[in-house]
Order: sequence, then C-alpha cells, then structure tokens
Amino acid sequence: MRAKFFMVAGAAILLIAAVLYSLSGSKDYRSLNAKLTAAQIMHNPQRPLSTFSLSDHNGDVFNNNSLMGDWSLVLFIYTHCPDVCPTELANMAMLKAQLKNKHAAIIPKVVAITFDPLRDTPKVLKTYVAHFDKAFIGVSGDTQQIDQLVKDLGAYYERVVYDEAGKPITLKKHEPLPDDAIEKGYVINHTARVYLMSPDGQVLAGFPTPHKVDDMANDIELLIKAFEE
Amino acid sequence: MLNNIKKILFILVAFVSITATNAASHAHQNNHVNHQITITDPWIRSAPINAPALGLFMNISNNTNQEVRLISAHTKGYKRIELHRTIDSNGVMKMVKQAFMPIPAHAKLHLKPGSWHIMLIAPEQVPSEGEQVSVSLKFNDGSTQTIQVLVRKGGMMMQHHSMH
Ligand SMILES: [Cu+2]
Repeated sequence: MRAKFFMVAGAAILLIAAVLYSLSGSKDYRSLNAKLTAAQIMHNPQRPLSTFSLSDHNGDVFNNNSLMGDWSLVLFIYTHCPDVCPTELANMAMLKAQLKNKHAAIIPKVVAITFDPLRDTPKVLKTYVAHFDKAFIGVSGDTQQIDQLVKDLGAYYERVVYDEAGKPITLKKHEPLPDDAIEKGYVINHTARVYLMSPDGQVLAGFPTPHKVDDMANDIELLIKAFEE
Repeated sequence: MLNNIKKILFILVAFVSITATNAASHAHQNNHVNHQITITDPWIRSAPINAPALGLFMNISNNTNQEVRLISAHTKGYKRIELHRTIDSNGVMKMVKQAFMPIPAHAKLHLKPGSWHIMLIAPEQVPSEGEQVSVSLKFNDGSTQTIQVLVRKGGMMMQHHSMH
C-alpha cells in the first residue's frame, strides 16, 4: 500500500516536473549570462519565429525548416555595404576557423540574409558570400518576409538616399525608393547583430558589435553545451 | 671557414650600405614630397568580384601645427569615390558621407573597418588580393600624395591578431 502510494506520488511529481519543464520552454539560459562575454541570451519560447519562406542563393526555398536540425549563425547584410557587412562576413569566416582550431564538435552554418533584396538577388548573393567562405548561404526573397524576420529578431534597417545637393534623406519604413535611386545609389543604416539559432529553428542568443571572434567562439561552445545538456 | 666568415662579412657590409643608400634616397625624396603628412599601412579590403563598393583604409599622420583635411581621393576605374565614416548609434551602424576627413595637429587619423574609410564605388573591375593600386590623396593645404595601396584580406580582428 505504502509502496504503491510512493510510486503514484513519484509518477505525479515526474509528470508535474515534465509539464513545468515544457511550459517554461525547457531551460532558463539567463543563468549563463554571467559566463558569456560576447553573447546576450535571446531565447524566448513565448515568441517563436514567424513562418517565413525565402530563397537561398541557389534559388531553392529557404524557410523555417532550413534552420532546423543544425546550428546556424544568422546575420543580415547588403552587398552595397562598403564597410560593416564585409567586415561581419570576414569575421564569420574567422569565427569558423577559430572553432575549427578549438576542435569544436559543432560548427554552425552561416546564413546571410539581405536587407536589400531589390539589388541582392540570389545570383548576386551567390558570388558575393562565396568570396568569404564557400559554405556560406546567402538568402534573398520577398521584402515583407524579410521585414518580418528583421522584426522577429529585433534587427533594424533604414534606407538613405541623397538629394541634389548631396544631403542624406532617410526614407520611412515603407516609403518607396525614388525612381533614380538605383542609378544614383543608396545606403542602408542597419543593426549588425549576429544570431545563434539552435537546431529547433529558434534564436538562442545574439552577438552585438563589435564581433570579437575569440569571445564569440567561447560563448558559442558554452551555449551549445547548455542547450544539449 | 675563413672564407665563410669573409662571405658573411661581405654580405653584411653590402646590406648595411644598401640600407644606408635607401635611407638617403628616402630622405632626399621627402624633401620634395610633403613630409608633414605621412601615410602608413594603406590597404583596400579584398572583395568579391561583384562587390559594388570597396573600403580603403590607412593611417594618416599630421606632423604640422595645424589641422589638415583630406578632401578627396582619386584612383582610376570607379564611378565615384567618397569619404565615409561608420557611426554606431545605439547598435545601428550608419554610413555617413563626409565632406572631408580632419587630421588634428600632431595627431593621427586611423581609417579602419567600422570607422573612417574611403569608399570606392562601382568598380569597373574589383582588384584581386595582392594587387597594388595607385591612389592619390588631396589635402586642403594644396598638397597631393600618391600612394601604392595593397589589396588584402581584413576583418576587424585581422589587425587585432597581428598585434600579438
Ligand atoms: Cu552594412
């Protein structure tokens, strides 16, 4: 009788624990914050990534499923960027090399999504991102879909055109580009965070600038370990 | 053995005299060129063959008693060349076009990724890694300097690593 009671009570406790565990979205990664030097925890099971469908640089579908099963580092770029974006991509190549040097068991794939699908077609991205690393994946597609991802990940961008006098004019969010903007050129002010996505296709952490490759590599190992424990 | 020492001595003497000649010709050149503004480690970041814009970086030292301004840069094969500065405003990286780059008296301006840079726009052909590109720089004191710029790799961390 007594043994049966303990068995039932034990099972109930396990069940409650399991429910709590799943409700809380498994773990509380915030306790990791003290150990992290470059990353900020962004894990939030209450706000999963929206459903999206874009195109990779080979013209194949790139959607939520493409982020599942593997670890990935996601960043937003645009190829007309003279400074920040090529720096970021070069840093991602160095980060991969650093993880390799450390004999890391897992090296995330790198996914570069364009802020500027109008100029950055899959074909353009293919040539561009391969320069930094043959395995990098460039992603382009519908502006609204990209904007949704930008919003979900807390990123931000704004386009800047120049008037006749060369004065910069920042366009509002959905304001169309002037007709001559392609010809005259425009730049994009943008956030430059790198996002670590876990194999469930959700964001686990973000890396704000500046991107110190050594610190990032250490944090990535810590985060992967914490996730897989 | 003695022969070897002779050889080494000869090489040493030759080396020292070459270095001395070089230094002398350098000093001679500098008398004609503006030595008040000196450029060191100029480089263009190697970029994808379809890159619409390239970054040019360097150190500019101003050895005079007054501010000097870089007002423009010129090189062949680009649609436009602009002076830019990347500014981090609360995590938003802004590329801001500049009318000039100020180099304060007895100070150095470091053009580097994420900061001041010269933007080479719409290249006819993207130069490849290892190539040397001739660039002339115009300053507000009326002087012009032509420099040879190396095309090389570089992220933010490259310089960090080379300092170790
Ligand atoms: Cu950029």
